[in-house]
Amino acid sequence: MSASAPGARLLLDELPGLDCGLCGFRTCAELAEAAAVKPELLTRCAQRALAPRPPSSPAPLGAGPCDSCALSVVPETRDWKDHLGREYDFVLQTFPEEPGPRETILPHNPQLTREMGIQKGDVLIGRPLGMSCGCPITHCGVVMSVDPRTGVIVWCVTGPLRARAEGFKDLGYYSAQAYEGLVTEARSELRIGARYWFLPRRCMLQWRHSGLINFLSRTPRGYQLRIEGLMIG
Amino acid sequence: MARIYLDNAASTAVDPRVLEEMLPYFRTSYGNASSLHEPGREGREAVEAARSRIATTLGASRPEEVIFTSGGTESNNLALKGVAFANRRKGRHIITTRIEHDSVLNSTSWLEGQGFEVTYLDVDEHGLVRAEALVSALRPETILVSVLHASNEIGTIEPIRELGRICTERGVPFHTDACQSFGKLPMDVARDPLGLVTLNAHKIYGPKGIGALYVRDTVRIEPWQHGGGHEFGLRSSTENVPGIVGFAKAAEIAHAEREGEMPRMLRLRDRILDQVLGTVPGAYLNGHRTLRLPTNVNLGFSGLEGEAITLQLRLDERGIAVATGSACSSHHENAPSHVLLAIGRDPIQARGALRVTLGRYNTEEEVERFLVELRTALGSLRPISSLMPGLAPALEVRG
Repeated sequence: MSASAPGARLLLDELPGLDCGLCGFRTCAELAEAAAVKPELLTRCAQRALAPRPPSSPAPLGAGPCDSCALSVVPETRDWKDHLGREYDFVLQTFPEEPGPRETILPHNPQLTREMGIQKGDVLIGRPLGMSCGCPITHCGVVMSVDPRTGVIVWCVTGPLRARAEGFKDLGYYSAQAYEGLVTEARSELRIGARYWFLPRRCMLQWRHSGLINFLSRTPRGYQLRIEGLMIG
Repeated sequence: MARIYLDNAASTAVDPRVLEEMLPYFRTSYGNASSLHEPGREGREAVEAARSRIATTLGASRPEEVIFTSGGTESNNLALKGVAFANRRKGRHIITTRIEHDSVLNSTSWLEGQGFEVTYLDVDEHGLVRAEALVSALRPETILVSVLHASNEIGTIEPIRELGRICTERGVPFHTDACQSFGKLPMDVARDPLGLVTLNAHKIYGPKGIGALYVRDTVRIEPWQHGGGHEFGLRSSTENVPGIVGFAKAAEIAHAEREGEMPRMLRLRDRILDQVLGTVPGAYLNGHRTLRLPTNVNLGFSGLEGEAITLQLRLDERGIAVATGSACSSHHENAPSHVLLAIGRDPIQARGALRVTLGRYNTEEEVERFLVELRTALGSLRPISSLMPGLAPALEVRG
């Protein structure tokens, strides 16, 4: 819709032409007509007032490609096979600033967390038993955080040297509930809500694991994932 | 602890002025508006006066273009099914969008089962329908286009005048669901290219159970509800006289006070948006930043989407009523929001939004208390990632 008076036509050029109605006028032309007589009405235009602001809507996590994110999809340039010759989709890397792979674990007796007074910085040993991620190897790691109410422990698996050097608390058996880490290369685009085969970078057996991605954030250093519903094989 | 109601897109408190005007039609003038005796005539006069009053707020020159219904859902059903069946010999193609209210989408789904073909237009990442998409979708056999004026979930305002013009130029009736925008954004059917408009009362401080469908006199439409031939044969049922009277009063108040009320809503909305988006790590906005209803805030919190139900409960414990899209928060819905999926959110994000909708009775003090309580509640949630304790996500999200 066009404005009729010359002054209004000039003002109309300054308006976005979206006819959103937020100013109280049906159309930008009607606002321009009114503002030609009463210029302060132009301040009612929410589009003019707000347009210069920086974007407030970050990209949704895990949706669509992103130039600034470091994930290379390399379908055929490497042999996506584990130690037993089975295919996998990506390698889960450790966060470089951390001492080892980050895992969320739950002692088979969660009360142990309180009874043993486990706290951040403690060195623990234990074996992941049964569901979900049964493994024949006892793991050693350092505690990053503890939830004494539920018994849930977040630790970084470090290997046995630290336990030998610093002493440790023995959890006995535990279940691995979640892995977190970075992915910089994958056989295909990764999607939240889907299950994948993956290889934890420091898995001593170099066996593939499988799990469901339930958190995915694109960062310049790779995709940050949280994987739950873990299984070996 | 005083309750703070921030779910005005779901329903609003009845304005005392509206209630006052309705009461005589419960107490004294309770006759059936179709009866010939005096109480009936009083009811009829009130109904027709209300029709004229609502027509005036819409800019309609003919009051009989306003058809009273039981609300927005019925109006949408009547618009879609009524126009589809009245025009089925001309064509069987209907166009709508992926972000409509369920009363539109479930009607079109039903129509598909009756042999109609429906095109669902995609929207962009803000929820906007593109005019080019509509032009591409229109066919010679298209008999109806339905695009909502403003989204009930994300508040995005659609370019209905442009879309309506495209349809009108091609002789296709254009319907818009204006339940969320009526009384908030200007509308003038005398000049706007709208064939049918869905309205309701309880979003504008009127009673529940009453709505209307504006039907331009050139639009061919069939009744969907049969009976005694009420509402010019388009919607049979004894008229809800108190509701109709209350609806008219609510529409008049909204129309008269919009100019002062909406700038205030806009300031409150932007206070919330600026505070949350500017200070809460990982907070993001669903919907368009500026082309959105002055009353609508729809937020997501990266890594905390799965905690939307906890967030709602924590706020509720503190006396603050907001809405979430969480599956577990609703007794009838177990799917992620189709609107949030349509704008590209993933299924977890599409379940995890927090919708805050402002209204006439909200104050600056309430908004400030909400912001404090929101921050406290967010700090008590369990982020999905162990790297995000205490709302300090080590994330570097980039577009």
